[in-house]
Amino acid sequence: MFRVTAVLLLLAAFVSACQIGGHPARYEVIYSMEKGTASAQQPSPPAETPRKYTIGIVPKLVEIPYFNLVEDGAAEAAERLGVDIVYKGPTVADSAQQIKIVQELLDQGVDAIAVSANDPEKLLPALVKARQQGIKVITWDSDTYREGRDFFVNMVDAETLGRHLMDTLAWNTQEKGEFAILTGQEKAATLNEWIKWIKVQQEEFYPKMKLVKIAATDDDPQKAYELAKGLLAEYPNLAGIIGNSSVGPPAAAKAVKEAGLSGRVKVVGLSTPNMMADYLRDGSAQIATLWSPKKLGYLTVVLAVDALEGKRPYDGQNIRNVGIIRVNGDVVIMGEPVDFTKENVSQYDF
Amino acid sequence: MISKLKHRIRLRGFRLSAKLMITYVLLTVIPMWLLGYVSYRQYTKSIEEQIGEYMPRFLVQANANIKKHMDELSSLPELLFNSDDMIAILRRDSYRSRADLNRDQFEMNSYLARTYLNGNNPDVIGVFLLSKNRLFQSTKLSYSGLDWHQAFTSYGQDLKLRTNVKVILPREIGLRFIDNVPYVLIMKQIEDVDNRKNLGTMFIAVRLSFISTVLRDFEKSDKADLWLMNRSGEIIYHTDPKKIGTFDDKIGEYPILNGSFRERGEDGPRLVSVNESEDLGWVLVHSVPLEELTERADFVRRVTVMVFVGVVVASILIFALFSLRVTRPLKRLSRLMKHVEMGQFNVDLQVQSKDEIGALANSFNSMVATIRELIQRNYHIEIRQKEAELYALQSQINPHFMYNTLETISMAVEEGEKEAVVEMVTLLGRMLRFSVGNKSKFVTIAQEVQHVRDYLTIQKFRFEDRLAFDIAYTLEADGESLYTPKFVLQPIVENAIKYGLEARKGLELHIAVGEEFGARSGKRDLVFRVRDNGPGIPAERLEELERTIREDALAGRDSGFGLSNVNARIVMLHGPDYGVQLHSIHGIGTEVAIRIPVTTASEIERSGHGEERNAREETRNGNDSHLDSR
Repeated sequence: MFRVTAVLLLLAAFVSACQIGGHPARYEVIYSMEKGTASAQQPSPPAETPRKYTIGIVPKLVEIPYFNLVEDGAAEAAERLGVDIVYKGPTVADSAQQIKIVQELLDQGVDAIAVSANDPEKLLPALVKARQQGIKVITWDSDTYREGRDFFVNMVDAETLGRHLMDTLAWNTQEKGEFAILTGQEKAATLNEWIKWIKVQQEEFYPKMKLVKIAATDDDPQKAYELAKGLLAEYPNLAGIIGNSSVGPPAAAKAVKEAGLSGRVKVVGLSTPNMMADYLRDGSAQIATLWSPKKLGYLTVVLAVDALEGKRPYDGQNIRNVGIIRVNGDVVIMGEPVDFTKENVSQYDF
Repeated sequence: MISKLKHRIRLRGFRLSAKLMITYVLLTVIPMWLLGYVSYRQYTKSIEEQIGEYMPRFLVQANANIKKHMDELSSLPELLFNSDDMIAILRRDSYRSRADLNRDQFEMNSYLARTYLNGNNPDVIGVFLLSKNRLFQSTKLSYSGLDWHQAFTSYGQDLKLRTNVKVILPREIGLRFIDNVPYVLIMKQIEDVDNRKNLGTMFIAVRLSFISTVLRDFEKSDKADLWLMNRSGEIIYHTDPKKIGTFDDKIGEYPILNGSFRERGEDGPRLVSVNESEDLGWVLVHSVPLEELTERADFVRRVTVMVFVGVVVASILIFALFSLRVTRPLKRLSRLMKHVEMGQFNVDLQVQSKDEIGALANSFNSMVATIRELIQRNYHIEIRQKEAELYALQSQINPHFMYNTLETISMAVEEGEKEAVVEMVTLLGRMLRFSVGNKSKFVTIAQEVQHVRDYLTIQKFRFEDRLAFDIAYTLEADGESLYTPKFVLQPIVENAIKYGLEARKGLELHIAVGEEFGARSGKRDLVFRVRDNGPGIPAERLEELERTIREDALAGRDSGFGLSNVNARIVMLHGPDYGVQLHSIHGIGTEVAIRIPVTTASEIERSGHGEERNAREETRNGNDSHLDSR
C-alpha cells in the first residue's frame, strides 16, 4: 500500500511540474508599476472641473489704456485656463474705492484677488481680512505690505528700471540739466521704489543733472497734462521730464509739443507704444519704456490660478506664452523692460 | 480499482535484479531528477522576476533621459527671442517690395543656420519657420515630400496649439530627408508675448540619434529589442532601423504599459518590459528572449543534465553489474542444488568474494561436503557390517566349524549324552538366529555376551578340558539397557581360540565386561577385555598387527581380519577415541580390549532413523547380491 501511495505521489509531482511549463496564457504579467490608485482616480478630476475658479482683479483704476491692456491679457489667460475673472477697479486712483471693491469681491465669493495697490497702507486691512477668509491675495503692478498678500507680481526689477529710466533721459540731455518726474500716486509703493533708484543713479553718475520736482498725477490724463504744462512754465530751464507711470509721458509730450518745445525738453518714461507712437515719431518724446501690460495681466491670472492649486511660482519657471520668470523671495519679476523709439514703435500694438 | 493496480504493480513477481533496479531508480534517479528540475525552474523564475522588476525601472530612467532631451529640444525655439531683429522680421506684416521680403528671408535663414544648425545641438538637421505666409528655412540635409502650401493650412499661424510642443512623426507630414534619416519634427508656436499675438510656427527636425545614444548605454545585447513608439503603436525609434516607421500592432494586447510581462511568441517566450512616458505619450519597450536571460542557467542545466545522465547510466551499469554479481551465484547455487537433489554430490560453488554471498557459497560447499562424507561413512559402515555379518555367518557355517560341531554332536549322540546334544543343537540354532535374524547394527550387551557364551559353550563341548572360560560381568547397570555394536566379541574370541589351541594344550579365556575411565575420551567407557594364556605375540608381529588394525582392513580374511574389522566398525560408529587395543607378552598371553562409549537405547534411537533407511536400502542391495551369488 505504501508503495502505491509513493508512486501516486511521484506521479502527481510530475504532472504538476509539467503544468508549470505549459501555461496557456499568451501574456503573463511579472511585475507591474501601474499605479492602481492613479488609474482609479483618473475619472474623478473631470468631475471637479465644472467648479471654475473666479479671480477678482483690481487695477489702480479703469479706463486708461495701460489697465485696459492688462484686462485684455487677463481675459486671454482666463479663456485659456478656463477660469472666470472679475476685472473691477475704481474710476479714479483712489484707495477708498479700491477697499470697497475688494469688499464687494469678497461678498461675491471670489477664490482669489489680485490687486494693484494705490496705497499699500490703507488697503492692508481689507486684504488681511480677505486672507483671513481663506482667499488667496496677490498683488501685481503695485505692491502692498507683505502681510497683505502671498506674493507680488512685479513687471521688472525696480532697481534696473529706475536706473534705466534715468539713463534714457541722460542719453538725450547729454547728462546735464534740470529734470522733473511725473509720478502716479504719491504713495504708490512701486512708483516710489523706482523714484528712489532714479535718484540713486543720478547721484551716482550724473552730477550735472538735477531733479527739481516730483509731481503726482494720480494717473489722471487731464491732471497730468495740467501738471506738465505747469512744470514747463515753472522751470524754464527744464531739460527733461521722466514719466513714472503710463499716463505721464503722453501728457508731458503733449504739453511739450503744444509749447513748441519739441526736442528741447526731452520726454522719456513709462508708457505704452500706442500712446507714445505719434509723439515719438514727431520728436516730442524720445524714448518710451514699458513691458507688455497684456503679458502682465496674463501672468497675473496664471500665477493666481497656480496659487489656488497650491503651486507657488519658482525662480526660472517657464510660463507658457510668457517666458521665464524670476522669483526673488516673494516677488515675481516678469522680465526686462522694453524701450520704444520711433524706429521700433510700430512693431507693438499696445 | 486500487486492488487491480496493486495487483498490477506487485513487485513480488519480479526477479530480484529487477526489484533492486526499480528500488534504485525510485530512490535515487527520480528524487535527483525532481530536485534538479524544481531547482532549475525556481532559478529561472527568480531571474525572470528580478529582471522583470529592474528593467522597467531602467526604462523609467531612459524615458526620463529622453524626456529631458526632448525638453531641451523643445526649448530651442526660445532662442529666437534672443534677437530683437528676428522678432522684428516676424512681426512685419507687409513689404513694399519683393527685395525687402528677400532680405528678411536671407537674414532669418542665416540666423536660423547660425543659431540652430551650427549651434550646440548637433542632432538638429533642419529648421522651418512658417510666419504670415512666409517660409524661412535652413537644413543640413536635402529633403523632399513636403508641400509647404499644404502645411500652411495645416500648421499655419492660425493654429491654436493646445499643448506647448507637439511632436510630429515623419508619416504625419510626409517630409523625407535624404537617406531616410530617422527624425522627428518638434513643432512649436512662436508667440509674441508682448503683443499677445501668434507670430508663426517653428518646426525643428531632430535626428533620432540622441535616442540611440540614450538607449545604447542601456542595452548592449544584440538579441534584445528596444523600441519607442507612440500610443497608437507607431514606432518612432527601434534598435532595428528597418522597423522605424512601422507599427507594433500588439500594443493593444499588452496587458500593462508600465511593468513587465512574459510574452509567448513564435520563437519562444520573451520578457517584455514597458514604460510609458506620460508627458510625451511615448511607450518605451524592451523585449528580450527569455533564453538570453537564462543563458547561464541553461548552460548549467545542460551540464547538469549531461552529468546527471552520465551518473545515472554509470550507476545503472554499476548497479546492474552488482546485482548480477549477487544474483549470478544465487542462480548457480540453485542449479547446483538441483544437481545435488539429483544425487550428484561432486559439486563446488566457486565464489571468491568474502561477503554474504561468499559465506553462503562456503556454507553450501561445506554442507555438500559433509553430506558427501556422511553418505560415504554410512556406506562404509554398512559394508563393514555386512562383511561382519557375512564373516560371522561364514565362520559359523564354516564347514570346519560345522563339521567339528556336528561331529561333536554325533559323538555325543554315540555316547548317549542326550542333554548335551540337545543343548548343543539349541545353542547352534540360537547362534544362527542371532547372526541372521537381527538386522540392527546394535544389540544389547546381554545379547552380545550371550552370543559369545553360546559360541564358547559349543567349543567347550568339543575341546572339553582343553578350553576353560569365564565371563566376568562388572557392570552397574544390567546388560539389557546398554548397547554395543554387533559381533564385536566373537571375532576376538575366535582368534584367541584358534591361536591359543594351536600352540597350547589348554587355554584359559577370561572375558570381562565393565566400565572404565578412558584417557582418550575423557569419560567412562564400556570396555570388553578378552584375556588368554596363549602363546602371545612376538613384539614385531604385534607392531605389524597394530598397524594393520589402524589402517583400513579390507585386507583379506587372513589373520587379523577379525581384529581390524571390529576396530574399523567401532571407529566409524564412535570415532577414533574408541576401538580395539592389543596387549601381549610373548609366551605368556594376550589381552584384547574393546573400548566403546556407554550407549543407551535412546541414543541408538536418535541416530537410528537415517541409518534405518540406509540399512533397508542396503538390505535390498544385499539381497540382490545374494541373488547374484547364487
